[in-house]
Amino acid sequence: MSKVRQQFPSSGGDFAAPPHADLRAYEVFVRTERGKPQVHAGTLEAPDDELALQYGREHYGRDQPCVEVWVVRRESILTADSDREVIFRLSDQSYRQAKGYSDVRRKWEKIRATKAVDEYQRDDLKEAF
Amino acid sequence: MSAATPPPAVIPALTEYLLALADDKFFLGHLDSDWTGLAPLLEEDIAFSSLSQDEIGHASAIYQLIATWDGRSADRIAFGRAPGQYRCASITTIEDDFDWATAIARRWFCDHFDALRLQRLCGSNFAPLKALATRIAAEERIHAAHSDAWIVRLGKGNADSRGRLQAAVDRLSTPAADLFEPTPGVSDLEAAGVILSDPRMFERWKESLERVAAAGGISLRVSPRAASAPPAGRAGRHQPGFAAVHAELSEVFQLEPDAAW
Repeated sequence: MSKVRQQFPSSGGDFAAPPHADLRAYEVFVRTERGKPQVHAGTLEAPDDELALQYGREHYGRDQPCVEVWVVRRESILTADSDREVIFRLSDQSYRQAKGYSDVRRKWEKIRATKAVDEYQRDDLKEAF
Repeated sequence: MSAATPPPAVIPALTEYLLALADDKFFLGHLDSDWTGLAPLLEEDIAFSSLSQDEIGHASAIYQLIATWDGRSADRIAFGRAPGQYRCASITTIEDDFDWATAIARRWFCDHFDALRLQRLCGSNFAPLKALATRIAAEERIHAAHSDAWIVRLGKGNADSRGRLQAAVDRLSTPAADLFEPTPGVSDLEAAGVILSDPRMFERWKESLERVAAAGGISLRVSPRAASAPPAGRAGRHQPGFAAVHAELSEVFQLEPDAAW
């Protein structure tokens, strides 16, 4: 501990923690690389927007490479309530998910193994025209 | 010129000039780091600690640059000199006694001075110095913005915060002008293109401080350091408390100066 701090009153006096009722909550987002999306990094409290941005940059922008920092007043964020109304539908909507394409490579390999590709393409053309 | 070391003729003057810069940052960063855990807001505590680390990081980078031609290691330059060999201005060693307004005002005078001092190095024809100064100057702008934000908020806060800030600014404005005490051989460095000259540097410093003081509603009186003023920090003539601050800062190094870290 610094010798200066040894003389520091440990409680009370001028240094009692002030009430923080005048602070506002902010959510912090960082972009770690150009072209990548902003990602939620954490939260902070600040007395106003300018200091919120300075604090956001100091706290969240410096422990990692970072090209951009956003701070947003928490009260400005509108939230869809997932308790009261469903967001992801429960009925079968698997057709909206792009997962079917992941099988294409396996299907092609199967065709190559069992049938000459030339022959397949000839059949394919015959069907199409 | 893109040599890895400066021309031999300017080395003594450049070493003095850079020691002044690095020592200012080293002692300011050291004193500001006393606020870790104690700053008025949690977020400010982290930010202010981070700014103190920046200052010590800048000092370290400059000591390392000096070490490339000096023959002493950066650690030895930083910690191993006698108190009279340090070149820091007195404002960087004035303790704040945990008065936040004093800590902010101290930073504020120094940040604006450094922003201008570094501009003179960003145009250096000595490539390693130019590259380092350019990087540090970018961070220094962030530091000045932070100090400015606090000057305005304390000035526009309540009677207590305004009164404390005004008292701190009044107390520090005279030692702040000692930042301009020249080190020997500055004109040689300018003539060699190693640093740029800036004849209006004091006026520019004063103007940038005045803009912020006006925004915060506080008064500011700074006068140039008289050419006839007695030698001070830049000549190693420090105030009485300096030896104690220096002893604390170099305490660990002095336990075993030859230890490998």
